[in-house]
Amino acid sequence: MLMPDQSTTMFLLSIATGLFITASIFYFIRLVKGPTLPDMVLAVDVLSYDLAVFIIIFSIACNSPLLSVGALPLVLWAYLLDMYVSKYLIRKELGD
Amino acid sequence: MMSEIINMLVFYIGLILVFLGGILDLLAAIGMNRFKNFYLRLHAATIGAIGGGFYPLIGLGLISLTLDWMGTNRFYVAGISFTTAFFLVLTAPVGSHALAQGTHKSRIVEPEPIVVDRLREDEEKGLIEK
Repeated sequence: MLMPDQSTTMFLLSIATGLFITASIFYFIRLVKGPTLPDMVLAVDVLSYDLAVFIIIFSIACNSPLLSVGALPLVLWAYLLDMYVSKYLIRKELGD
Repeated sequence: MMSEIINMLVFYIGLILVFLGGILDLLAAIGMNRFKNFYLRLHAATIGAIGGGFYPLIGLGLISLTLDWMGTNRFYVAGISFTTAFFLVLTAPVGSHALAQGTHKSRIVEPEPIVVDRLREDEEKGLIEK
């Protein structure tokens, strides 16, 4: 009925991808500029969440669920990076 | 007939979530560049994680559930995106909180607009370890 067809859906999703790409460029500027280490880690975190969204959009576009498997380790990797850097900053090992 | 209407509703709710997430992500990216120090940028990063990561992933899962041209692949994509959104909303606040604690304890960034800092006072009194 009012459901758009495949090309219209992909057109709408590509407009949304444009918003995310613009945001990623701004995050990347902060990653390069970042005066201290925690700023860079924060920018990498948000960039990897954006990348997870890109991966899901790409797997919908390619109609392939195997591509979307990478999104979950990416999100967990951002959490691991946070934990390692915060423990490095207070000079302890992970698990202390 | 009824299932078509439900399909359409789910599709448009997902599309609204994806576009809302894109706009919030753009706002968070502008905030990341305009705020002055790390503790203020944490607010923008929270919007970027929940608004720019959680909402679009839920929206993409809802969209892919309704796409008939994907065949059975849509259930795999929807499941993975819901799982990713669940783990994102579980881990992103914990991670940024741990990062803020590490930064405050190591004192590489001074909290700039500040009224009172009880944690720093307790550290100097020796009530908690530095």
